[in-house]
Amino acid sequence: MSAPSLLRMSTPLRADFEIPYHDVGDPSRPPRLALVAGLHGNEVNGVFVLARLASFLHRIAESRTPGLELRDRILVVPAVNVLGVNTGDRRWPFDDTDINRMFPGYSGGETTQRIAAAVMNLTSQAYYRVDIHASNVDFEELPQVRLYAATAAERASAILFGLPAVVERPLNAIVSSTLAHAWRACEGENFVIQAGIAGMLQPQHCERLFRSLVSFLHRTGIVSGTHLSEDEDVHYFGTDQSFPLISETAGLFVSRLEVGRWVRGGDVIGQIFDGFEGELRAEVHAPLSGLLSGLRRRPTIYEGDLIARIQSPQSVPAVADTFLPGQGQ
Amino acid sequence: MQKSRDVILSLALPYREKLEIRRTVFDGERGGPKVAVVAGIHGDELEGLFLCHRLAAELQALVANDPSSLRGRVEIYPALNPFGVDTIQRSVPVFDADLNRMFPGHPGGLPPQRIADAVMRELSGAELVIDVHASNIFLREIPQVRINKQFEETLLPLAHAMNVDLVWVHGAVTVLEATIAHSLNARGVRCLVVEMGVGMRVTPELSDQMVAGILHVWQQLGVLDGRLPLERPARVPFVAGDHNVQYLNAERSGLFVPSVQHWIGVHRDQLLGVIVSPHQGDVLSEVRSPVDGVLFTLREYPIVYEGSLMARIMEADVPSEAVA
Repeated sequence: MSAPSLLRMSTPLRADFEIPYHDVGDPSRPPRLALVAGLHGNEVNGVFVLARLASFLHRIAESRTPGLELRDRILVVPAVNVLGVNTGDRRWPFDDTDINRMFPGYSGGETTQRIAAAVMNLTSQAYYRVDIHASNVDFEELPQVRLYAATAAERASAILFGLPAVVERPLNAIVSSTLAHAWRACEGENFVIQAGIAGMLQPQHCERLFRSLVSFLHRTGIVSGTHLSEDEDVHYFGTDQSFPLISETAGLFVSRLEVGRWVRGGDVIGQIFDGFEGELRAEVHAPLSGLLSGLRRRPTIYEGDLIARIQSPQSVPAVADTFLPGQGQ
Repeated sequence: MQKSRDVILSLALPYREKLEIRRTVFDGERGGPKVAVVAGIHGDELEGLFLCHRLAAELQALVANDPSSLRGRVEIYPALNPFGVDTIQRSVPVFDADLNRMFPGHPGGLPPQRIADAVMRELSGAELVIDVHASNIFLREIPQVRINKQFEETLLPLAHAMNVDLVWVHGAVTVLEATIAHSLNARGVRCLVVEMGVGMRVTPELSDQMVAGILHVWQQLGVLDGRLPLERPARVPFVAGDHNVQYLNAERSGLFVPSVQHWIGVHRDQLLGVIVSPHQGDVLSEVRSPVDGVLFTLREYPIVYEGSLMARIMEADVPSEAVA
């Protein structure tokens, strides 16, 4: 079975390249949901989960899963940055541009603007739209829903994924050229999901992400039948409840924590050692209590580096966070 | 006159070294205004580094000849992304961040934001900042000044005096609000963006041309003594806008081979180059000028994908003798 493509393009030397997608369900109906991953080629968790989900959806559509029924049409794009997946690059490898800084795109423009326009053209038809990311190679994110200048409907629907955290983030100049921002011009609801770290495939995060997408399909009635997954505790955090922990000490960062645990103010997050002399330079403590939603994984730390992100049940003092460039998205 | 070098920001690196932003200051100490040149905000753009060297050489020669010729203060920042220059990376290494999308920065943010913040603080109070870029590795640009339409009124007269052939007044784009030029201009510090040459190369004659323009502007501003017999800029720029710039994007992927020189007048329908395939003898695409005008951007890197920019032409009446 050949998959449809949202873009086909000649290449300088290789065969033509295309960006294939899955179109599952009744083709005469407008799609209710569009799922996109791999705008960044090295964010493999989302690519893997969407490929697995597409396989699952095809099985439902072919009535090979007794008790389950697909009631709506779904579009699934496991990877937009096809070349980047194959080379392990975040950006479009040829000209090193970030496809997720090219939206809404332009069909007569640069290569990545054309890719962006084609992605918009396909996905804007859907009512629900989800863009899945995996931070970057330095930082691991607990699977979470991110909302940017959310509508009431988006706030309500974000819970349906059943992921442990829904985090509202401010709009800034960086995110204004992303896919999720471009979607805002179209009617419907838009979500960004962050899950894990770039450059790796993390089975636990992937399983959680898969379950969350199935929950969403179930709770929105897109798939009906047996309830497939159990709920997690969902916590909702506003834009003023996110605390970025920034190190003023350089060195080698060591942490034994895992993302997703709750920390109390004063708990040890990790240590920073001098990479030459081996001396302990700083012990990093949680400045407040909350959910450890993100943790530094690249061990070499600069003065001024992001070490962790803690989501607090309370409002936290205004810090540099609103000025931080959009990690991972 | 005092010449000094100092470090405006020092950040510790994980293993022993430091990331330092260095500058050289020529201070005439005669009460004249402060001006600055910044370059190397993208680590793969090197034309501006050579321009900084040429300007330093001119200033040294001027004050050696007559110490009173420097009335104001000139600050030269050859590389705002020194780590990128040292490691041949456009972005700030490790952070993978385009430094020119980090302004105005923040003192408590990530390292690229701290660099931006430190630079903004040092440049406050300047009469004029010149931010020198060298395109990227793909495209070659004729020396030109780029101005955001929002600041046209204050910047255009200065741009006219810069000894360039082209001034491009472009419309506002949201993401570009995070550039150094926009951040400075928004705070009332005039900043001109100079684009010239191509990434990863130095083209000395472009710096020669810009030195003449910059010294002239500095003299107009009173940084250099008015009695200095400087050469007057010979070039009168075309003024391009969003309405009269044509973009030529590749229709096919392949090898783009230009058949014209850069920096010339071209006629409508004139053949500018072809796209060919290394696999076959046919021409995949002929690239022709859609208008009469000035070819101010020409692709340097031959491989193109569909959509790759090959040329930009400003629509203009060009005298026939200027056409190749």
